[in-house]
Amino acid sequence: MKVLALNGSVRKNGNSEILLKQALMGAEAEGAEVEILRLTDYKIGPCQGCGLCLFRENVCQVKDDTSEIFTRVAAADGIILGAPCYFLELTAVIKQLIDRCWILSHNKIGKPRKPASVIVPYATRGWIPYIFMQANILFSVMNLTKINQAAVCTQGISEVVLDQDAIDLADRMGREIAEAIKNKDFTYRGEEGICPGCNDWLLRVLRDRETIECPTCGMRGKLRVIDGKVKVEFEERAWEERRFKLDVGYNHFTYHIAPSKDYFLRTKEERKKRTQKYKEYLPT
Amino acid sequence: MAEYLAKLRYYPGDPLEEILIDDLKKLEQQYGVTVSYEKIENREMKEGLLMENTLEKHIEEISQEIIIVSGDQRDRIADCIRAIYKKYRCPRTAYSLLGSNEAGQAVAKGLMHLHGGWE
Repeated sequence: MKVLALNGSVRKNGNSEILLKQALMGAEAEGAEVEILRLTDYKIGPCQGCGLCLFRENVCQVKDDTSEIFTRVAAADGIILGAPCYFLELTAVIKQLIDRCWILSHNKIGKPRKPASVIVPYATRGWIPYIFMQANILFSVMNLTKINQAAVCTQGISEVVLDQDAIDLADRMGREIAEAIKNKDFTYRGEEGICPGCNDWLLRVLRDRETIECPTCGMRGKLRVIDGKVKVEFEERAWEERRFKLDVGYNHFTYHIAPSKDYFLRTKEERKKRTQKYKEYLPT
Repeated sequence: MAEYLAKLRYYPGDPLEEILIDDLKKLEQQYGVTVSYEKIENREMKEGLLMENTLEKHIEEISQEIIIVSGDQRDRIADCIRAIYKKYRCPRTAYSLLGSNEAGQAVAKGLMHLHGGWE
């Protein structure tokens, strides 16, 4: 049983690393072999949008360290992600990694899911609206099931060591991951959110001003205020149609992306003709 | 040949509800346009999923449902397409209007951002 911690902070011995190491200590106490990886120590280049990974399985033209990260994630039985929130969301390396995960879309079918948790140190309350959205996306594209999430208010460098509650929480989250692996129980253990799929609190209002959507998983419903409390009544089919469900993801690739090859070939000459003036204007 | 011809291509999982010919007939009568329907099904059950290799196929050959709206009056065409989008949502992909004529495509595309159900 191996638990891998992914650190999305560039800081050595910073709050993210401390919380992740405490979580790994907890997992180790439950019998796990542990490993930590600082994402910024690896070269993760931007996705080139070339589509090669979609059209030819397991081929990425960006030659960097991303495939090594994927290999280590694949070798682990559970993942703990830690990343600071500097400006409303997680650090850029997390997004960079998410964009590179297209190549994993071929490998989900028939593969078992693994448990994952996320812990986010941040400084100012009210400045963290998107932190779990990014973690949810990363976990979904990596075929991981989130079992817990936590945000820890702590400001200065390594300051989190002064917060015993946060240290205990990280330790517990690490133990939970190990237990989840052992028991094959990936039940969500954290605080419930307004979206039952993501357990996040983000909602998006569609232009019809009637439909509410979880922007991450795409589950839809209607907003209700019951006894003064906002509630979303999700449609019955919403759970079956959530964005990262295996068959929905498969359909997205098969019908929304793969046929673009035919469209690309059909429009090739016309595109070439119309693109010329942009090539000539302010050449880069 | 009708002045406006719009082919609305819905792929598996796209329409908000099942597309029924009876419902399309009602729209046809209500808006005074011609509405027809075509279904292509090429999926096979494999590994617990309905699967299809679409990479090497032409767009017209892959599994899809096509609602074809045609007529000579722009307002009627637009109202009918708007009702279709409201009922099923608009088609999602950049190539989902393939096969439409220029006038039909302009109407169908123009309404997507207003009543698409995606935004």
